[in-house]
Amino acid sequence: MSNTTAPKRFPMAWFYLALLVAYPLLVYPENALFRLTEISIGMQLTYIFIYAILALGLNVVVGYTGLLHLGIAAFFGIGAYITGILTVPAYPFQVGFIAALVLSTAGAALLGVLLGAPTLRLRGDYLAIVTLGFGEVTRFTLRNLEEITAGTRGLNPVPPPQLPGVLATPLSWLGIQPDWSLDYRLFYYLALGLLVLVVVLLTNLERSRLGRAWVAIREDELAATCMGINAARVKLSAFALGCGLAGMAGCLYATTLTSTAGPDAFDFNRSIIMLCCIILGGLGSLRGTLLGVVLLIGFDNVAAPVLDGLIQGANINPNGNPLLTFSNWKLLIFGVALIVMMRFRPEGLLPSRVVEEELVGYAPQPRGKLLRAR
Amino acid sequence: MAILKLDKLTVRFGGLTAVEGVDCAVAEKQIFSIIGPNGAGKTTVFNAITGIYEPTSGAITFEGRALERPLTWRVLAMCALVGMLTGLTAAALSVDVNALWRATIKRNYAGPGESFSSRAAVADGWSYLQGSLALDHLRGDRWAVRTADGRRTLGYAASLDEASQLRDRFNRLIALAVTPDAVREQGSKWVVVDPDSDAELASFDSAEDAQAVMDKYAAIAREPAARRRMALATLVLGIAVGAAGTWTVWHRARRTPEVISRAGIARTFQNIRLFQNMTVLENVLTGMDRHLHGGVIRMALQLPGIRRQEQKARDRAAELLEFVGLAGKATMLAKNLPYGDQRRLEIARALATSPRLVLLDEPAAGMNPAESLELNGLIKRLREQGLTVMLIEHHMKVVMGISDHIAVLEYGVKIGEGTPEQVRANPRVIAAYLGSEEVS
Repeated sequence: MSNTTAPKRFPMAWFYLALLVAYPLLVYPENALFRLTEISIGMQLTYIFIYAILALGLNVVVGYTGLLHLGIAAFFGIGAYITGILTVPAYPFQVGFIAALVLSTAGAALLGVLLGAPTLRLRGDYLAIVTLGFGEVTRFTLRNLEEITAGTRGLNPVPPPQLPGVLATPLSWLGIQPDWSLDYRLFYYLALGLLVLVVVLLTNLERSRLGRAWVAIREDELAATCMGINAARVKLSAFALGCGLAGMAGCLYATTLTSTAGPDAFDFNRSIIMLCCIILGGLGSLRGTLLGVVLLIGFDNVAAPVLDGLIQGANINPNGNPLLTFSNWKLLIFGVALIVMMRFRPEGLLPSRVVEEELVGYAPQPRGKLLRAR
Repeated sequence: MAILKLDKLTVRFGGLTAVEGVDCAVAEKQIFSIIGPNGAGKTTVFNAITGIYEPTSGAITFEGRALERPLTWRVLAMCALVGMLTGLTAAALSVDVNALWRATIKRNYAGPGESFSSRAAVADGWSYLQGSLALDHLRGDRWAVRTADGRRTLGYAASLDEASQLRDRFNRLIALAVTPDAVREQGSKWVVVDPDSDAELASFDSAEDAQAVMDKYAAIAREPAARRRMALATLVLGIAVGAAGTWTVWHRARRTPEVISRAGIARTFQNIRLFQNMTVLENVLTGMDRHLHGGVIRMALQLPGIRRQEQKARDRAAELLEFVGLAGKATMLAKNLPYGDQRRLEIARALATSPRLVLLDEPAAGMNPAESLELNGLIKRLREQGLTVMLIEHHMKVVMGISDHIAVLEYGVKIGEGTPEQVRANPRVIAAYLGSEEVS
């Protein structure tokens, strides 16, 4: 039961959250090791938060409901482009950040439903092919609608959100400059706040009727329908929610990057990396998904550049030998790690509570406690 | 009064007849068993009742009515709505979105800080769709007359009045371009004259020049009609496909397991189909799905109403687990339960849907004598709770011990029916089970 194990787990979650909240306040300006590599760990953490929202969305579709979705990057891109079109100064709409966030989420969810409604009766591989195809179609559509999306250049500049005046004083106490382009910490807290919100809402959903229906469909669709569950509706809700979260992540991404990036930022590779994140962490597990994102995206965006910088800084590689550049080994290490994982821990690093329970064995609970646990 | 009635139920798969012409009437609060040798079509009967298979012919009535999703005005409205949406989407796809964007947004918005009138944008979008000519304000109070998509510039003017006069002239020219013999020779010139006002609209130096320009205008003139035809065709096709598709999907889902379950029939499976990676309690709670309410947002926020409802469901699930004898195992994963317990959990999950009729498919399979005795007690208690039980079973001890009524199937055909005593004495049943005596 989630409830009985929750008290045990929660202090750790609070501890990590406190660490993440405190990090930019304690380590600023970021120390010399990281400066050397010209990347800001804080900024990269912001992107990790954004990808975490994307991965959590994908986890709803693939992890809980068991629908293999290979086109999540398309919805990420749709969110980014909706935000771009609605906010860039080249177009007359220029709505605020909150409106863009809501519309991106709703727009991506709506497109998810439109894609899902006719295709969710497909099973397994066939659905995977359809979503993969949709991802590519979206990418080429974004590229070919040149008048609207500026083709391969992407839309920019996406303006930062308006800071509410109420926040000015508390921010100055914390030593944060109220300017989005000067201080990464504003984006950092924005992304972290949204991520925490998403995690809380998903945790609640996971324990609700809908969460159970998702898992039941994954476990045995026929038995689930025989229990009176409307499979089409439940699958559609998972699709809408997953794609909506991807759209939300896309909105944050475009705002943080101040550009929608080109259509190629939302290609098949992005979908696969996100899929790897949730498989590495543990399908259907919130904690696992977060860990998978931290490991994979962190490796890609933080560890690799830092190691490159260190090698360069230590002057080990004066002739620019490609074999001595860490980034060139990145994908090899990534691949080997995945293979090793699949061999020794196929259920992921932090499998969902049920799988975990199976591994640990079960502890019988007295009935009264079980019922009071919430 | 019969709660469930099978009337000449026949199920065929291709050329193979699994069940043929089976008639049954299950009375309320009865324990009704279906027995027969392997491959007699017993499970197929269950699958037909619970909507997994569509009967080839024959009728199944539960509490006096056929279990089908009723055809309501909402279904028709849904068909119409989806049809309209598909049609509009298809029609939108026949429009050049890039050009439309240029005509509406880019024409009306010069850049940051400039004003933007959404009414003008909509008007421009409409005139683009109609293919009419547009006036563009250029720098230095110059005006251009362009086609609505902005691709072709026909002429320039120094003021708005002049520009609109120019536009009128081009409109006349474009209208005339499709009529034959619009160009006339007049002296050394070739001219186009408005037949209504006799005004000269254009003059050219050579017949070739005239032909080339008039061809261009003719192309512009033909564009809107072609576009309209295309949009109309896609609209109609889209509506037809959308509405027909929705209707087909609805019609095929008229008799799905979900509909049957909601009507009050629950079942267990011969090859246990629990949700293996869910806990015992969650399995039962999943069965209660249709009794729980609340939208996604209320669930995501765990509002107090949802919590109370969830708490009630948990209490009820715990009761059900106690009823089938699984108290204290609520937190175990379903797949870690021993075999007999898995069967009991399936019964609990079926009961969670609050059915009036329970179909049990070989509940005693794989149980030892002590366990199957316990199961007998459980099934009897189900009847005491006011449920009707339909049973497929091979254990004759179970069947003969608890059944009120037994039907015997062989090769998909009902060969005997009656009380346990009648069935036991029926020579055809004995022949089916033991083989008939050789008569020489």
